[in-house]
Amino acid sequence: MSADENHPTRKPEEIPSAEKRPQPRLKAQRFFEEQGPKIIKAAPGDLHRLTRRDLLLFGAGSLGALAGIGYLLPQETLGRLGVHADLDSPKKERFLNSALRFDDDVAEALYSPNRIVPTYSKSQITALRNNYNGATPDPSYIPGWRLTLEGLASGVSVSLDIRTLLARFTPHEQITRFVCVEGWSTIAWWSGLKFDDLLHAYPPISQARWARVDSSVNLDEAGNPDPYYASLDFATARHPQTLLATRFNGQPLTVEHGAPLRLLVPVKLGLKNVKAVTKITYRVDQPSDYWAERGYSRYDGI
Amino acid sequence: MSHSTSSYNEQNSTSALSEQPRVLVAKKHQLLVRWSHWLNVPILLGLILSGMSTYWASPVYQHKPDPTTGNVDFVADVGTWICAHVPGLLHYSSPPDWVYDHMSLGPYLLADALRLHWFFAYLFMLNGLVYIAGLALSGEWRALLPRLTDVRGALNMARYYAGKPVAMLLRRTWLHPRFATKYNALQRPAYFCVSVAGCLSVATGWSIHKPMQLHWLAAIFGGYDAARTWHFWLMWLFILFVVPHVILVFADGWDTLRSMIVGWSARVHRSEEFENER
Repeated sequence: MSADENHPTRKPEEIPSAEKRPQPRLKAQRFFEEQGPKIIKAAPGDLHRLTRRDLLLFGAGSLGALAGIGYLLPQETLGRLGVHADLDSPKKERFLNSALRFDDDVAEALYSPNRIVPTYSKSQITALRNNYNGATPDPSYIPGWRLTLEGLASGVSVSLDIRTLLARFTPHEQITRFVCVEGWSTIAWWSGLKFDDLLHAYPPISQARWARVDSSVNLDEAGNPDPYYASLDFATARHPQTLLATRFNGQPLTVEHGAPLRLLVPVKLGLKNVKAVTKITYRVDQPSDYWAERGYSRYDGI
Repeated sequence: MSHSTSSYNEQNSTSALSEQPRVLVAKKHQLLVRWSHWLNVPILLGLILSGMSTYWASPVYQHKPDPTTGNVDFVADVGTWICAHVPGLLHYSSPPDWVYDHMSLGPYLLADALRLHWFFAYLFMLNGLVYIAGLALSGEWRALLPRLTDVRGALNMARYYAGKPVAMLLRRTWLHPRFATKYNALQRPAYFCVSVAGCLSVATGWSIHKPMQLHWLAAIFGGYDAARTWHFWLMWLFILFVVPHVILVFADGWDTLRSMIVGWSARVHRSEEFENER
């Protein structure tokens, strides 16, 4: 604004109202009371110049924001708007993925290993849909199923069948909410062994911070093999409610829900809850994620 | 607000000097308030477009699967209805996608939508802090506090707005209710509520985003699923606010629109303005 002296003035004529009548006022009341506008004297020339400057800045900013939004929109959306120039570039991907990385860091900072997620009663259980992205595998894999553990401190890999796992580990039960990245959620009753117990029974290499959880039986939509994999940080794997579930709603897992053993991590999105786990590999560096390679986030803590 | 005679005289003395090329303007919106106001436009647009694409992946409002199409989404039904009844859309390629094609990034874009939604959501929260800082630094927050008299005042203003177009058609005078505050009795609660809605959008957003770590927050809104419903309707509240907001600023005139860009208003005295209107 111009360098003129400021003149806080009162309106010459005001509508008489109860508010305006002089009366003793508390300090606190005055604090909340609206003050009249600050009146400024300005030369019309200055005012014109400043207005022109601000309007030009505003116009430039609007065009910049429009260009910025246009640049960030997915190619499919731009195509629908009639923009067919290919704006996808590694730079754009990196920029947009930085939003995912930042959000993942926030999620990791919010995570507390001691925070127990809410549990529910059996009457609150809701139906769980089979959200296999592709075709549901043929159950013929189940009799020969084995869980392979790699990256162990012993240096050798271990292969376990379901009977050994059930005999060796204490089952734990919980009724928790399962939240999908798509937005739906469900309350289900799970039973299985604690991931933490598995980590104690078969200790990983000392530098390991990550588990890569694989399902080799996953299929794509056409029914062809499409192995599924997800990374799980040790802080989450050790959470007391992180299970390798073998039972669902009181029954052994069905093929739709990942028989005979699936990962159940209530503090993560559903896509981390790998069905029909066939291999767990302990790693020093963060393993890749099936869905992170398709544009979703990696940490997925909720 | 007691106005003394001295300030009245001061006012007269300044207008006595009007031979000099000087005009009076009233400071209206602080710089940070103006910046955050306009930044809300691209940010909310980005949030709504990406939010509706996310909604598509798992609609809040679902019915039993349609026997022929298998559709469960009421929003898809709206699209189908529009394409069946609006001339020119009768041959639309995919009627169930019509709403998503026009009010979102598009269907089948969940990963892109979520990434953009986080991007704009963090910007929205930052922008909210800028807005609060602007209000706090300038003291303009006081003008936004609703008053008890606003209940009656808002009804008067609503009556005025409703009758104004009719009065214009009939070439009848239709007097603007008088007010001596920065905002009228309808503006004030509207701006206040939309700011509160912004805070609620952020809170419900976090409830949906982190329903386990922030389960206490989700519980305030009635749990995860209820928080999604809140979040969805808060979006509509913004849309319902923006439509009359834009119409009224254009109806009110250039000075009002300009003041949100330059910060000052040439309407120094509300009373003069009412005189002009007559």
